[in-house]
Amino acid sequence: MWKLIGKQRNVVSLRPTPPVITVSYSVLFLAAIVSILPFLYILSTSVKDTQSLFSYPPEWIPEQLFWGNYVKLFQETSFLNWTFNTIFIGLSITILKLIIDAMAAYSLAKLQFIGKHIISSTLLMAVAIPVAALIIPLFFIVRDMGLLNTYWALILPALANPLGIFLLRSFIVSLPDELIHSARLDGASEWRVFTQLILPLISSGLVVHAVFTFMLQYTNFLWPLVAIQTETRQVLTVGISSLKSNFVVDWGLISAASLLATIPITILFIALQRFFLAQSLSSALKG
Amino acid sequence: MRRNLTAYLFLTPVLLFFGVFLIWPGITLFFQTFQTGGIMSPAIVVGTKNWERTFIDPLVLKTVWNTIRYCLMAIPVVFIIAMVLALALNSVRIGHTAFKTIIYYPTLQPILIAALMFTFVLHQDFGVLNIIMRAITGNPVNFLGNESLAMPTIALVEVWKGVGFWTLLFLAGIQNLPRDLYHAAELDGAGPFRRFFQLTLPLLKPTFFFSIIFATIVNLQVFDSIFILTDGGPFHSTASTTWYIYRSLFTFNEPGYGATLSFVLVIVVLILTALQSFAFRDRN
Repeated sequence: MWKLIGKQRNVVSLRPTPPVITVSYSVLFLAAIVSILPFLYILSTSVKDTQSLFSYPPEWIPEQLFWGNYVKLFQETSFLNWTFNTIFIGLSITILKLIIDAMAAYSLAKLQFIGKHIISSTLLMAVAIPVAALIIPLFFIVRDMGLLNTYWALILPALANPLGIFLLRSFIVSLPDELIHSARLDGASEWRVFTQLILPLISSGLVVHAVFTFMLQYTNFLWPLVAIQTETRQVLTVGISSLKSNFVVDWGLISAASLLATIPITILFIALQRFFLAQSLSSALKG
Repeated sequence: MRRNLTAYLFLTPVLLFFGVFLIWPGITLFFQTFQTGGIMSPAIVVGTKNWERTFIDPLVLKTVWNTIRYCLMAIPVVFIIAMVLALALNSVRIGHTAFKTIIYYPTLQPILIAALMFTFVLHQDFGVLNIIMRAITGNPVNFLGNESLAMPTIALVEVWKGVGFWTLLFLAGIQNLPRDLYHAAELDGAGPFRRFFQLTLPLLKPTFFFSIIFATIVNLQVFDSIFILTDGGPFHSTASTTWYIYRSLFTFNEPGYGATLSFVLVIVVLILTALQSFAFRDRN
């Protein structure tokens, strides 16, 4: 066994050398600590009462766990509403976007029609439009539709983002044309080809798309801040930030809220980790 | 003909939302730059008044410069750290997935939560970093209240949150590179540094070009972290263009002026991305 590895090493092996491995592990350990430490810090802050928050030297692990921040969060703020709103809006957008983007992607990938080039390049160029610059006209359009302060105000504009179409198109393009041709020869309509042949074949692409759409909505801040004024209709990001703008900043309360807000996306992350870390995303975005 | 119809039917929903919520706002944005009011009272046409003000308002130039300054700080730093982490991940087997997961985790969280967390971490009185600073130097540092430190601090928060995304992107790029070239390079006796600078970096050019353009578009719209951490202060040293747009609409109640600022942002983004695409196409 050793001989074999030694032999391979003499010929050529892309195995990193021991110093490279040592440096790599040191870098990764450092990065892991920097990534995790702030989360532990707010965990510790969230179970402290105001007094031990300001104590010096600081208590990293409070002797007495204080649950008051969490109690206050559920009793005195609309935290549960915000969580429900975030998940509900995120899921609605994800489902609707998946359907319409997959349809468009199929059309752009496998159907021939007049104006195809113009449409696909217009959609692609629109990726470069900074959406932050559109909040003012969008605010008035949504207001004139009478949708301000409703879920629709957050759901409908999100469906306009064309990026996901190109992700799905790259999955569909790689499917062999013969497959579609033979299905058509068998008398299947385009709709049947799409729903019964294409969709099952690109299921992993659909999950990647869904995961990223949901994540984008979960982290969205500027547009909900503009479009929703009613406190109970707010999403988590804006809701939690509103806790900070009170006269006395309650760090314990904000910590508890921030920490709980990481839970839904963490559960999703653990369940679908494979797709979050999917490498296909990068290649698809470039294609 | 039927072919065309089917294809367009598949495209209809996307084109509908795209038209109403992206193209239409783009068009009305242009007209709004010539108007004032509209929130409490009907909008009035004021001609080029907003544009004249844009050119003499020193804060416009300042926010554009702040936004670009922020990009120049955040993007190179996040790319370099992500590249180092991607290379490190690429050379370890044991714990590979665990490290990947942990490094990616901050990217999942809303930047707002990152910003709030760092508000505590950097807080002058009880933030963990200042507790350490006080122990070492005796003096706390007011990271967010200092004109020259505030923007680098914001950039750092964004880097902390964004680095996982770029790490995975670069790692995917590295793992897709042709392996036989590396075998050849190793046979020629090229060490890890030479392999990196003469093989990996040049081969990753397409990934970098795409990443730089994408990162520029996203980062020129920086808002969330600024809104939470400094709200543009101190003395507008962290006021980004998007921050100014938001304030024009809600605090100053001047949507027309905000529309003009938005137009400026669109122009800045389009010019910078066009320049980058041009530069990259030339070299390829």
